[in-house]
Amino acid sequence: MYELVLALPAIALIVSVFADVLLMSYLQLGISILVFSIVIAIAMSFNSITVFLGGFFFVDYINLVILITVSTLELFVAFYSFGYVRTEIAGGVSKRKFKFYYFWKNLFIFSMMVSILSNNLGIYWTGLEATTLATALLVSFNRTKESFEATWKYVIMCSVGIAIGLFAIVILYFTTSQVYGESLQSLSFINIMQAGAKLDKNFLMLAFLLALVGFGTKVGFAPMHNWLPDAHSQGPSPVSALLSGVLLNTALLGILRFYQINGASGIYYPRYFLIGFGFFTILVSAFSVIKQTDYKRLFAFSSMENMGIIALGFGIGGIAVIGSLLQIFFHALNKGLLFLSSGNVLAATHERRIDKIRNLSKNFPVTALVLLFGVMGISGMPPFAMFLGEIYIMTGVFRSNILLGFLVFILLVFIFIGLFVKILKMYTGNTENEEAGDEFKNSKTAHKGVDESVIHPFMVYVPLILLLLSSLLLFYIPSPFLNIVQSASAEFGGRIIFK
Amino acid sequence: MLMGKIAELFIILILVSVVLNVSSPFIKFAIKLYSFQSLMLAFYILMGAVHFNSINLYGSFIITIIFKVILIPYFLFKTLKKVKMDKEIDMFIGIPEAVVFAGSLTLLSNLIAQKIIKTGITFGSFVFTISLATFLIGAMLMITRKTLFSQIIGFLTIDNAIFLAANSITHGMPLLVELGVLFDLFVSILILSILILNLRRNIAV
Repeated sequence: MYELVLALPAIALIVSVFADVLLMSYLQLGISILVFSIVIAIAMSFNSITVFLGGFFFVDYINLVILITVSTLELFVAFYSFGYVRTEIAGGVSKRKFKFYYFWKNLFIFSMMVSILSNNLGIYWTGLEATTLATALLVSFNRTKESFEATWKYVIMCSVGIAIGLFAIVILYFTTSQVYGESLQSLSFINIMQAGAKLDKNFLMLAFLLALVGFGTKVGFAPMHNWLPDAHSQGPSPVSALLSGVLLNTALLGILRFYQINGASGIYYPRYFLIGFGFFTILVSAFSVIKQTDYKRLFAFSSMENMGIIALGFGIGGIAVIGSLLQIFFHALNKGLLFLSSGNVLAATHERRIDKIRNLSKNFPVTALVLLFGVMGISGMPPFAMFLGEIYIMTGVFRSNILLGFLVFILLVFIFIGLFVKILKMYTGNTENEEAGDEFKNSKTAHKGVDESVIHPFMVYVPLILLLLSSLLLFYIPSPFLNIVQSASAEFGGRIIFK
Repeated sequence: MLMGKIAELFIILILVSVVLNVSSPFIKFAIKLYSFQSLMLAFYILMGAVHFNSINLYGSFIITIIFKVILIPYFLFKTLKKVKMDKEIDMFIGIPEAVVFAGSLTLLSNLIAQKIIKTGITFGSFVFTISLATFLIGAMLMITRKTLFSQIIGFLTIDNAIFLAANSITHGMPLLVELGVLFDLFVSILILSILILNLRRNIAV
């Protein structure tokens, strides 16, 4: 059953080369539903770490949290893509172009699954680099000058970062090969965790630092975040949703693996570095959010901020780890709905700047509502699920250091103000229209008379369902998921329950 | 110790080729230097293979030759021909300053490597120093050159440095991992070439 999680995206990948685009959109729906149900089945019946496919892949609790996140978001994005493809083809884009869309997207999902489920650190690295390459041509999908520049920055920066991560893996291999000999066994995460205290502490710390900076480039920690706003805003919206929601988490998984290895051999300094990078990321994104004029870049900076919060939570430890794990899942849902609904606005109006879009509530009732409540949700307001994650993390932060807690709280308020002011401006009308008296005479708005009917209904309602799900999750989280999260946070103590 | 001396010669030639790269503004020459550098790396791996008699290293030698010495420079030359980029490249700091800076980076990497070596690398400490120097000089190449090709060459140099480090402190990474890494590198060069073609087509970068 575990092998199916890898095999199904591979099948989708092969089929997408041959099948016609519209047929492929149906197949993609089917495969996403299958993968989602298999992952739910795994989650329900999971009680110990399982190794499969010859020891190269395994599932443990942290993997499972990220796996659930990926399959849930991919399910919704598959439905959204169904509508997105039809809308764009009706708007005049060629079908051949979209064939490559599905190919690269399936390659992206496949390599992400390989990366998440891998036991061998070398295979994790290969999968992560493959996701960079698979998303590169997706980010430049629109073939404009800005998107090519964004793709270039993205590929170069992330490849250099991941190469530094390779250096970290080399140094780790050096230390573990003194225990296990030089073979694939000494790159296996389970073996490394069991070696524990026998590994050389200086080299482990060095490896963690290199991994933090290297894989942190791909997560989007400041000061290595320059590629993030461009890459996440230039791609098509479903791709942006997947990038922000799950790819950042996959890179974070690598850092967490190194953190766990350090914890298993008794080194506890890494947490200060995680806290430092997390806090610095929140600081930089708080000051950058205020100056943004493009709404997709705004949401990309919000992704960066949330990754900072998650890293902060993992660094603080204790109850904040539960918050971070919940935040991983909830942030993926929430950011997904923000990018998807803003993609609706973009698809209908073809306008990226915030000050060119006004009075959304008149012509785009559902989308505007989803955008407004989505921004409330992403800032952590109840009744949306991210409130729960942020409360746990902030409790942990306040318990450990009150000054840090106040600083983080103030920065979060900054970000909330920045996001909300801009989105509220988009939601309601402004004075420029109303002064003219006549409807759209002097208006600078881009969408004279366009409304939601040009968009396929799937595109409109998928974000709404995500929003409702996100609100529901605050009040009721299925207990298998809670158990998984609790066991995952216990794993961070450094000992794996291996049966 | 003849084998040891010959291996050291190859490593020194790698450092020489990187500094030559810094000192020259021509892109074609830079790609040829990269090919030469990878050849020296491959020969170093071959010496290790003969000395330790491991199949792993022989395989690594072969795939290094195939990917890094032949395929990647071939694709870079093809792209260079299509793009018809000017052979001269402009930069943020001049060439003599860059060479001096490269020398100081070598000294810096010696200082850093001494601290790491103290804690227990038993063989190949000299190679680790050179690999760190190559890493830093490759990073400098990426930062101080404005041409897109120089960024690619810098990135490839960094990758070579990491392979060199992997071969210096261990007997080489497992073959499966190296195959995966090299394949990813190759695909990334293909994608970067496509991007360069498109970037040049839209505006003059």
